[in-house]
Amino acid sequence: MSLVLKNISLPLAHFTLEADLEMRQRVTAVYGPSGAGKTSLLDLIAGLRAPRSAFIQLDGDVLTDTAENFSVATHRRGIGYVPQDLALFPHLAVRQNLLYGRKSGETASPLFNFEHVIKVLEIEPLIARGVTELSGGEKQRVALARALLSSPRLLLLDEPLASLDAPLKEKIIPYLARIREEFQIPMLCVTHDRFVALTLADEIVVLMGGKVMQTGAVAEVFTRPANAEVAKFTGVETFQPGKIISVADGLATVNVGNVTLTALAPATESRNVFVCIRGEEVILQRAAASASSVRNRLSGCILSFRPEGALVRVELDAGFPLFALVTRPACAELELREGATVTALIKAPAIHLVPR
Amino acid sequence: MNFRVMKRLVLASLLCGSLNLRAADITVFAAASLSDVLTKIGANFQAQTGINVEFNFGASSLLAQQIEAGAPADIFFSADEAQMARLENDNLTDPATRKSILANSLVVIIPNDSALQIKSANDLTNADVKQIALADPKAVPAGVYAKAWLEKMQLWPAIEPKVVPTENVRAALAAVASGNVDAGVVYKTDAAISKNVKITYEVPRADGPDISYPMALVKGSLQPDAAKKFLNYLSSKEAGQVFTQYGFLLRE
Amino acid sequence: MSAAEWQIVWFTVWVAALSTLTILPIGLALAFALARGNWPGKSIVETFITLPLVMPPVATGLILLTVLGKHGGGGWFDFRIVFTWRAVLLALSVMSLPLLVRSARTAFEEVNPRLEQIARTLGAGGWRVFFTITVPLAGRGIIGGMLLAFARALGEFGATIMVAGNIPGKTQTISLGIFENVTIGQNAQAYHLLAASVVLAFIAVWSSEFFLRRKKTA
Repeated sequence: MSLVLKNISLPLAHFTLEADLEMRQRVTAVYGPSGAGKTSLLDLIAGLRAPRSAFIQLDGDVLTDTAENFSVATHRRGIGYVPQDLALFPHLAVRQNLLYGRKSGETASPLFNFEHVIKVLEIEPLIARGVTELSGGEKQRVALARALLSSPRLLLLDEPLASLDAPLKEKIIPYLARIREEFQIPMLCVTHDRFVALTLADEIVVLMGGKVMQTGAVAEVFTRPANAEVAKFTGVETFQPGKIISVADGLATVNVGNVTLTALAPATESRNVFVCIRGEEVILQRAAASASSVRNRLSGCILSFRPEGALVRVELDAGFPLFALVTRPACAELELREGATVTALIKAPAIHLVPR
Repeated sequence: MNFRVMKRLVLASLLCGSLNLRAADITVFAAASLSDVLTKIGANFQAQTGINVEFNFGASSLLAQQIEAGAPADIFFSADEAQMARLENDNLTDPATRKSILANSLVVIIPNDSALQIKSANDLTNADVKQIALADPKAVPAGVYAKAWLEKMQLWPAIEPKVVPTENVRAALAAVASGNVDAGVVYKTDAAISKNVKITYEVPRADGPDISYPMALVKGSLQPDAAKKFLNYLSSKEAGQVFTQYGFLLRE
Repeated sequence: MSAAEWQIVWFTVWVAALSTLTILPIGLALAFALARGNWPGKSIVETFITLPLVMPPVATGLILLTVLGKHGGGGWFDFRIVFTWRAVLLALSVMSLPLLVRSARTAFEEVNPRLEQIARTLGAGGWRVFFTITVPLAGRGIIGGMLLAFARALGEFGATIMVAGNIPGKTQTISLGIFENVTIGQNAQAYHLLAASVVLAFIAVWSSEFFLRRKKTA
């Protein structure tokens, strides 16, 4: 798909939302802290808000062009929207909610067939119920199904897991993943939850204070944040794809780059993971490791330094790009310099595996 | 502001209020058609005697109802005998002071810019006369008289559907003057008051009912002497001249 | 009660009901426009709609009469409005409209606009959203407002007598009938009509409260 946003300008309470980008991937996450203007961006794309200026084009169709005073009405855009508060119609039963967006007389593609959708989202037993009787997770799935059943060509999701607690979050993510696989429609997902961005998105747009800080592939953004703000928000220095080769006794053995790490086994079954290691959890030492509790001892070559306040960000090649955050005095004491070989120690619990 | 001071202020204002009432001297409840002529006569009376006369003009039936309900009137000047009889039967007026000195005649009026041709009672049944204003023929004297006339002409059943009853005869006059109705039946004396209507037919005395304006002292009056003085004045030659000036007929 | 009195009662009920139905479309439209969004002149419209509630009804009636009467530019109507049942309908409509608008507006304001927005993303155009989402959710408040307007119309006097006159059998409503009967001394008939008036008003207001009250506790 191709979603073009040009010259976006929308004054909000504390800042002006501005954007100029093109999204091509199947699933794009708009990632940023609360209040960054993410929901407003979705509202603009859906045609629910009028911008000061904007040019919005989806798959070649111009939806908004303020220069020409042109705007396609919301109900003609064919864009499904699942808002943060779900907005299920309280006066209609689940079935009527689901069928609300159904176009009559249209030969719906088998993809958005009613039986198929409710099967994929596992809401068959809920059909006859009233909306108020549903649990949080059930409401989420009904809202998703309702949006899908309107045969949208783009699906907008606003904080799809925000109102759910942790165990429920883990339950819903697979449904979102299923939507991505089964229905083949592009999704634009707004979230401040790193987990959601990591698991679902092909591409990330980092939005902070109404401005686009960075766009790019997930791994790229998380490994190489464009600036300190993005880095602070993404919070992870080392972020690499890996594959779990075996799981035993609650520990997983993961292949990353050309080394093997020991980490805590994640809850999901997925073998493909991202390996996340926070810089402050990496210990550097000069001498080769002696017996210690640390499971992961890697030999690495220092590639670069970057001072960050009282700390120094050290980039190593340890069989994969690895970042460590150490203090300046430590740097001096260990006489760390580019090209030197050091041993990196990472405790197993410090390695976070996130399903891919 | 403490309670005591409040009490004194209230009492003082009540006293002032009652002082004012005494200055009004007498109150006359009179038929609407007498509005202009009685105001003039009342002014003359005050100039001569210093007694102030306040008027309450309206439909005689409405005034009678107000007196029945206890309204403070000294004199009742009705436009027909029926309403006077109503009060006399309830022992509210003094029969000894009852007298009728005036008569009137009925006319058919149309708005000044109207092109309607009404030259007889029958013409009122024409199709182009859609709505006719009368003072409520159920009880207001002007309407009762008009109905009596039309019944005598055997035209009432044909005309009744077109009737727009008004609260009193002046309201009927106003309805015609504003053009909201096609025609109206009022007293000749009323037609003279308004510049926006023209008389298109005068009801001959023989066709119409006997119009009589009785007046009497109201029994509850607090100023019977001043009131009787005014009643006498109304029967005087001087007042009679003013009545005739305004188009009323004197009964003898 | 005599046949004439029953006629007055049925006429009053019928014309009040008709006026409530008449003001429904424009009342809902105004209520919705006032509930959603800010537009230039909104406060002026709000004020004008509230005027019949606070102005003396005879004053409102006089305005209607001036606009409609032959010498008020309303003469282009070939059929008569003034002094006919149509004037009664008009007077009742104008006087009861503010009550409907106020109740309906509150009801619309309580409908979450997000629901309307999402309905639009699901492909529903303006009218469909209004009738399938907004109105059903505002339903109780709207019905409560209609009953309130009906109750007001039942009791209307000042504007009615001004613009429709008090013509027995044609424009005489219960309140006008009470007035005439008292004036001409027919007190028994006046009390019959009074009883009917109390009963009707009670039923209308009680049912209105039923719809408006329940909504708050729901």
